[in-house]
Amino acid sequence: MGIGLKVRRLALLAAMAVCALGLPGAQAAEKHKIFLSMSYIGNDWQAEAANMVKAMAAHKSLADKVDLQVQVAGPNAQRQIQQINAMVQSGAEAIIVYPISPTALNQVVKNACDKGVKVFAYDAEITEPCAYNVHIDQLEAGRVTAEWLVKKLNGKGNIIAITGVPGTSVDDQRTKAAKEVFAKYPDIKIVGEAVGMWSQAVARTELSKILATRNWDDINGLWMQVGCFTANSMQLEAGKKTSELLPCAGEGSNGGRIQMLPEGTEVEGAAPPYAPAGAQRISYASPPYSGALALKLAVEAIEGKDVSKTTILPLPVVTNETIKLCDEGTWAEMKAGCNAFKPSLVSNPGWFASIFSDQTPEVGLAAALVGQPEN
Amino acid sequence: MSSASLSSPGSGGLGLRRALMRNRGALIAAAVLAILLFIVDWISAGPLTYFDVSFLSSGGATSALAAIGQTIVILSGGFDLSAGAVISLVNAVLASSMDPMAPGASIILWTAVGIGVGMAVGAFNGFFIAVLRMQPIVVTLSTMFILQGVTLLVMDKPGGFVSPDLGTFYLGDAITGWLPMPLVVIGVVLLAWFWLKGTRFGTALYAVGSDPESAAAVGINVVLVRFAVYVIAGGCYGLAGVFISAQTGSGDPLVGNPLLLSMFAAVVVGGTRLGGGQGGPVGSVFGAYILMIVVNILLVLNVSAYYATIAEGTILVLAALAGSISHASVLAVQLRAARARLAAWRAGILPSQLERVDRRLKVAEPSPNQRGPASPRPAFHLRNAETLRYALPAYVCLLLIVVVTQIWLGRAILNPGYWNSLLVLSSFLAVLALGQGTVILTGGLDLSVPWTIGISGIILAGMVNGSDAALVYALPVVLLMACVIGFANGFGIVYLGISPIVMTLATNGILQGCALLYSQGTPAGFSSPMLRWVMTARLAGLLTPIVLLMVVFVVAAVLLLGRTPFGRRVYGIGNGLRAARLSGIGVERTLILVYMLSAVCAAVVGIMLTGFSGQASLGMGDDYLLPSIAVVVVGGALITGGRGHYLGMLGGVLLLTALQMLLAGTTLPYATRAILYGLVVLGAVMALRERRLQ
Repeated sequence: MGIGLKVRRLALLAAMAVCALGLPGAQAAEKHKIFLSMSYIGNDWQAEAANMVKAMAAHKSLADKVDLQVQVAGPNAQRQIQQINAMVQSGAEAIIVYPISPTALNQVVKNACDKGVKVFAYDAEITEPCAYNVHIDQLEAGRVTAEWLVKKLNGKGNIIAITGVPGTSVDDQRTKAAKEVFAKYPDIKIVGEAVGMWSQAVARTELSKILATRNWDDINGLWMQVGCFTANSMQLEAGKKTSELLPCAGEGSNGGRIQMLPEGTEVEGAAPPYAPAGAQRISYASPPYSGALALKLAVEAIEGKDVSKTTILPLPVVTNETIKLCDEGTWAEMKAGCNAFKPSLVSNPGWFASIFSDQTPEVGLAAALVGQPEN
Repeated sequence: MSSASLSSPGSGGLGLRRALMRNRGALIAAAVLAILLFIVDWISAGPLTYFDVSFLSSGGATSALAAIGQTIVILSGGFDLSAGAVISLVNAVLASSMDPMAPGASIILWTAVGIGVGMAVGAFNGFFIAVLRMQPIVVTLSTMFILQGVTLLVMDKPGGFVSPDLGTFYLGDAITGWLPMPLVVIGVVLLAWFWLKGTRFGTALYAVGSDPESAAAVGINVVLVRFAVYVIAGGCYGLAGVFISAQTGSGDPLVGNPLLLSMFAAVVVGGTRLGGGQGGPVGSVFGAYILMIVVNILLVLNVSAYYATIAEGTILVLAALAGSISHASVLAVQLRAARARLAAWRAGILPSQLERVDRRLKVAEPSPNQRGPASPRPAFHLRNAETLRYALPAYVCLLLIVVVTQIWLGRAILNPGYWNSLLVLSSFLAVLALGQGTVILTGGLDLSVPWTIGISGIILAGMVNGSDAALVYALPVVLLMACVIGFANGFGIVYLGISPIVMTLATNGILQGCALLYSQGTPAGFSSPMLRWVMTARLAGLLTPIVLLMVVFVVAAVLLLGRTPFGRRVYGIGNGLRAARLSGIGVERTLILVYMLSAVCAAVVGIMLTGFSGQASLGMGDDYLLPSIAVVVVGGALITGGRGHYLGMLGGVLLLTALQMLLAGTTLPYATRAILYGLVVLGAVMALRERRLQ
């Protein structure tokens, strides 16, 4: 056991050294202690949202007021429960949370509320009444996109639906609302349906599976939660001309937005398929700025301002009529109406482009990319 | 089976020493937990109060209860992947059947319902595993898919209602201010276990886990013991499901699924040996709480988000190391061996320093004409009878699926596009199957596959950035990095004696952190035109180039495992570590090479996926872990090692891909697809089951 003791002592010393380094330095007492409890950080949307929250906290209007700590719970709701408890115990004034489950956190959130902690959920919802929720109307998202597709197809045609993560409220609401719309048009037939897990990579695999026994010519339109960029790329690979691309209702990835620009538009850094193609699209998204906005609202709530329990964000919808390329991607520029970013600035086409909100002049493109706030 | 685990100390004493050895795992886990608690107490602002302890005890209770069940299964030499799905199912059943209008609920009734559901699932598993003698990992994997489907049928989205009475009971205090209820619940389950352990059944359970054949020989009813084990474990998962329902007050069909991997980590950190026969649930309970308290430690240390998984992985490795420290541990043995080697080298008596003379036995070789009538070479199907028996069913099922696809959807058998898609979509798993398959042949498991894929794709895309010329240096860099990852895995497993599951799970977390740090959350860059061409072009409108490369790969894989010394060593290690070592196989070197092979295969898949999708994304490898294990086992390999053929695994890949393509072509709801998928996997493997030994 001798070695054991020694090693354990060493481990303890190492741990102590880490603590010494990791402990925050002396900080102004009046700063509000706010925690961010993220879910699984290993996907593009989550990481982008985290960048925007960090940028918001670093903005000069909040930097003196907020001491933000970001923690990751992973995909496991149990751990998020434990994490929120620990945050409450360590004196949080507000907790911003990306809820892994809309229901599983209710008890712990109620407990936090009882201790006077403000709990803000972004993007997804917490059903406990004392929590503040900041999100889009998912039913509206499903309905608006389905209606657009039906109109494009003149109420007739075969469509493929790629859904999100089964068993989540967001997927359930979007898909149900869309199917209700499709059900009103007997000539619209869903001929293929697959689970896309909100990932471009999965969307490609699933579409490849569906197309193994089908042909692009048998399909008239696509309704997907994530994957229009991929679907368009696949059609181009299959030899379709850009003018023949199927109408696609789907996510707000920057790749998809660039494809919506009229063919031949000069765009810096564009290379097919991440290039203008005049694709017929409606592009919507759960905007990644919702966490940043939640932080801002949380500070207001701590300072005693009246904040509504539910903040429904306007659904960011971009169609071929409203698509406009940004030059630099500052907030002011986006305010003037631009909504797509040059591939030379955003090299990942799967990156989510719906980062503009009237209410968050603190964060622009740099915030979403590298966590740098606007001036 | 017992030879499968590499972390075994290899020497056992008798009597008291043996008993101490058995409990050592649990004792050390308890000590680690105490240290971690001390650290939290020491660094956090206030002292550790009863409320902290109470919160912690309820936070880890679900994992702890489930880990008890998993431990019992592992002690019996089994493996249960359906545990997380049972928890989700029980949660969904409870939340959807309680009436919100009548908030009062009977705690005994609903607890019984939860445990009953779990036991019913356990009986289902137990029937296939014990009575039909099928491999636990395949049965429980199929059960997992089936249950996920059933859960979504019971409850398709989060919601429902669980009576607050349940929460008040399970989360309250047994003795106000002194003893939280969750600890009492765990205590009661552990007491039940101690009682069980003392009975004849308990002895039989350990015996079956240590050596099923000897157990059968001394008259133990192995079938009954195995069956009972899964039923008991199911009950534990059911209770865990009841607990999480009480804790959350509502239902979520996905709540239990992510608990699976951490459950295995809890079991191993708690000192139970995978493969059976040694350890116990007490350690697993401590293990579960160790994993849970890490959350608090990361919080008090203010470890930033991108570093969280790295810190977690490191803590996991440290905890496992602390658990394996003793005179007989692998690390200590290796250190002593290194010292002995050094001494021998100084004295000049290392075999490599001695004069090289041929010391082999000289046997007179029979001259060709003395042989008499040469016995005829047995026919092909006789020479390869075993391989065929295990590999063929996958291909037979594949054929069936293709026929069904043709009848149901049309356009399959005569459509070259169908076959091309099948082969392209199979290519990812076919490559992974070689790596994961080789690891499984040695009796290990590689859980670091997802983020080895992820980080390889992200780094490649970042370096290549659309330029074909950059592939020339980007490919070697990525493959070299994979070698380093694999080496790290192998080193930890071989020289530090960390169990493969814990080591690769930790590596996976560390790689995830590295990928996030490298990409700052936004993976840059995209695939080069050539890589895209390989993965997506159609030569002559029919064939994708990757299919041709796959043919080469398959031939190389078959030769590697079947015709090289490396392949023979792999099978040797899988069949018996000690025997392999005694017959002069460099076990350490071979195992490290095996994990390097697995990492390189995963990196190749990352590169292929980047070419296929045109870009890399975080989490792109997440969907490949369980399938990579499933195809290997469906293809006839034995999860405990030593048996399996690459062509069988390839059959498994094609079968599962064809099945997914069939299901994707239908418009069946996802829940039904999941159930069908599970049932077909189960059916396919029924044909492989081992015949009862005479």
